Amino acid sequence: MEHKQPVWIALLLTWGLLLQACAPPQPGPDLLAPTAAQMKLRSYQSRSFEVTDPSQAMRGVVAALQDLGFIIERANEPMGLVTAARFAEPNYTDVMGITVTVRPQTEGHMMIRANAIYNNKPIEDPKVYQNFFATLERSLFISKE
Amino acid sequence: MPKTLRWAVGGTLLALLALNNGCTTPTQPAELLQLSPESPKNRAMQIRVFETPNEHELLSASAAVLQDLGLQIEESVRQMGFLRATKERSAREYGQDLNRFFMGLLSLGNFRMPVDLHQKIAAVLIARPINQDGTKHEVRIMFYRVVWQGDGQADRQYIPPGEQKMEMIRDPLIYQEFFFKLSKAVFLEAFTI
Amino acid sequence: MHGHLKYLTNALPIGCLLAAGLLLQGCLTPYESRHENQWDAREQIWMSEASQVKLRAAQSRIFDMTDRRTLLKAILSTMQDLNFQLEVLDEELGIVSGKYFAPLERPEYGYDPLYHLYDDQSLLVFSKTYLSWGPFWHRNDVVRLTVTVRPRNEKQLVVRASAQFYLRAVEDPEPYQKFFRSLEQALFLENTLAQDSQAVQPITP
Repeated sequence: MEHKQPVWIALLLTWGLLLQACAPPQPGPDLLAPTAAQMKLRSYQSRSFEVTDPSQAMRGVVAALQDLGFIIERANEPMGLVTAARFAEPNYTDVMGITVTVRPQTEGHMMIRANAIYNNKPIEDPKVYQNFFATLERSLFISKE
Repeated sequence: MPKTLRWAVGGTLLALLALNNGCTTPTQPAELLQLSPESPKNRAMQIRVFETPNEHELLSASAAVLQDLGLQIEESVRQMGFLRATKERSAREYGQDLNRFFMGLLSLGNFRMPVDLHQKIAAVLIARPINQDGTKHEVRIMFYRVVWQGDGQADRQYIPPGEQKMEMIRDPLIYQEFFFKLSKAVFLEAFTI
Repeated sequence: MHGHLKYLTNALPIGCLLAAGLLLQGCLTPYESRHENQWDAREQIWMSEASQVKLRAAQSRIFDMTDRRTLLKAILSTMQDLNFQLEVLDEELGIVSGKYFAPLERPEYGYDPLYHLYDDQSLLVFSKTYLSWGPFWHRNDVVRLTVTVRPRNEKQLVVRASAQFYLRAVEDPEPYQKFFRSLEQALFLENTLAQDSQAVQPITP
């Protein structure tokens, strides 16, 4: 009798696997909870700029995105939101999207945050965000002249 | 080396090269969001500066010029100096019809290649002040187009319509024409940066 | 007999050309053949200077008034009368734009698409693998009209209307003439309404 047990277990396991294949994917408990990596990413994605006028900051963001070859999709000043997208030229098979928010912080400072997505996956390389802020700094500086 | 061998080696090398090409990762993420060497050239082509404090007049005149070029205004966000205009046109080309014909012949009529049918030509325009007291404004415009393919047939497999491709329009002439008309409409000279 | 052969050899290339042309046509669906053919589709970005000048005249009307707001209201009601869904309205810049769907393409598979579910306002579907064409075969059905109002001088405004129909710019002057006639009527109504509302005292309880 004893030697039959493994067979039963194997059968049960197979059945379980089969069932699993038919079940729709379930959201994990951490679906809406940020991971530690994301929290760290957030600090790369945000930078404070010495700008008083929200409108000036927004227009600087738009100009920087245009310099980078993005097509502006939405620009909402009251909400401080800009979204843009582009194909990663010259490779037209890759798509890149970016969302930038502008929020007044303390007196005379604006917090600017960028979230970039490359082919549906968030970009986690801090260097990429550094690149963006370098361009943004230049365009804010130019518009301040 | 015998001639055939040379050919064989050459062919293999070529094939390897082609395979290798297909596998290379296109853009290294670290280089993303970095200004490319072409961006100063694109900027110069897409931007003109006008010595006027009147941003609304620039935008309204821009809308009229876009209309002149046959585009329809699709979105306007005045607070941001933002306009988007598009025109939808046929994208059929004789060359593609010929290609399809020869592909059809080669496959003995089993393959009907999808061809470009429809295109959306779009312009995104932003006007913004570039000095502190707002007496100078720049206007930046970018043209691009999106092309959609029709359907096709490969053996018994139906190829649904709607495959897209997109490209930026980098022909300086269209930018020149736009700014020439805009400066005429606002009675101001357009300065390049 | 010899003459016959010569005639045949002369006719052969023409016959071949004709046959090739027919074969080429044979590959096309009627839907495809309704699309204008060209050597380079990028050329569509241009409009010839001649057609621009001609069109500008047909599409523009001068109004002896300075009240932009009233004129815009009249444009809005005219466009609504013509069943346009308004999408862009900017009073300050004097821009009005709208669209409607004219069922020009008959669906081959027996159901009518629901046009008002179709939203092309978002930028574009940025995808190579996912196929999207709005309602397939029906992109040609979008009719668009953009109207701009700009001051001509201190006393006059100029209205310009431009329309797109079946993937082409509307270049025939007649539709524009009719549009402006309705606009003039709407403007007349707008003015009389304004006078009426001035004449009638508001009743406060």
